[in-house]
Amino acid sequence: MKNIFFGFVIGATTLAACNDSNNKVAENKNDNRDTAQVKAQAGSSTATTATVAEVKGTTSIKEIVTTYLQLKNAFTKDNSNDAASAGTSLQTAFKNFDKIALTAPQEKLFEEVADDASEHAEHIGKNGGNIVHQREHFIMLSKDMADLIKTLGNGGQTLYKDFCPMANDGKGAIWISETKDIKNPYLGKAMPTCGTLKEEIK
Amino acid sequence: MSNLRKVILVVGLLFIAIQFIQPAHNKNEQALPTDFAKIYQLPANVERILQNACYDCHSNNTSYPWYSNIQPMASMMARHIKNGKEKLNFSDFGSNSPRKQISKLKEIANQIKDDEMPISSYKAMHKKANLTKEEKMLIMDWMNKTADNLSAEN
Repeated sequence: MKNIFFGFVIGATTLAACNDSNNKVAENKNDNRDTAQVKAQAGSSTATTATVAEVKGTTSIKEIVTTYLQLKNAFTKDNSNDAASAGTSLQTAFKNFDKIALTAPQEKLFEEVADDASEHAEHIGKNGGNIVHQREHFIMLSKDMADLIKTLGNGGQTLYKDFCPMANDGKGAIWISETKDIKNPYLGKAMPTCGTLKEEIK
Repeated sequence: MSNLRKVILVVGLLFIAIQFIQPAHNKNEQALPTDFAKIYQLPANVERILQNACYDCHSNNTSYPWYSNIQPMASMMARHIKNGKEKLNFSDFGSNSPRKQISKLKEIANQIKDDEMPISSYKAMHKKANLTKEEKMLIMDWMNKTADNLSAEN
């Protein structure tokens, strides 16, 4: 029993001693936090661009569009789990996108869209079972996709930009479809044909 | 000494031992130029609600309650704050692109509408974070309005 007790006393003292030096490091960190934070930000943004530029991507706009359409079709069927797996695939497609052929302004737009759209795709991927939350992100993701297609093209297939006036709490929302017939991803089976065709993207 | 007593002693000593491990506090009074309140015209009532219900986990300044120095609560809080700031940091909101700012503003409104945020464990300890219906409406309207204005500009 005595041994156990002494073990703890020694253990606690060591911990306290270790912690002392940790605190000092922490304090130093706090002092430099402002500069460190700025540096970290600058560092991380250059780091991402550097890695992406070095490694040749494997996906094209065609894969991104196809995966988005899978996601859209899962929503038209109210299938939250299929939407989740398509969301995760879409996140990967954005991550592995090959930017070699892009012009500078195209790349700038892609970076901005991908930064936002990947986060929506991630949320959709992680919220299988919560289709309400998934669809909130799908509204913003669809806007990103429309802007991306406008700049990078449709990936070789005719697409349609549709509008649902009832989605987004009555403020309306767009989506991209591969079929001329309306199949509403926001209302699903409840109102499958609600919506209007806004634009044909050839 | 009985086995029960030994167990109590060991647990007690462990409790004392973990008190020596204290995570660094999330405290940085100096406001960044990218601070939420600096990039938007923030009405006082909106700012007060954000301060009471959001900033503890979503900014560079946590107002720590007394129990925050007691382990294992200290580590639990540090983890919550780290995760919270990764998703949304009001102290550095302006570092997001306008597109992402619009998304985040709408997401804030959605999370409040769906009652996902503030999280219930936080609300249990912070009475002020239990937003009234009016407070929720105020935040949602302001977030959506700001997002729409930003969309019109970009």
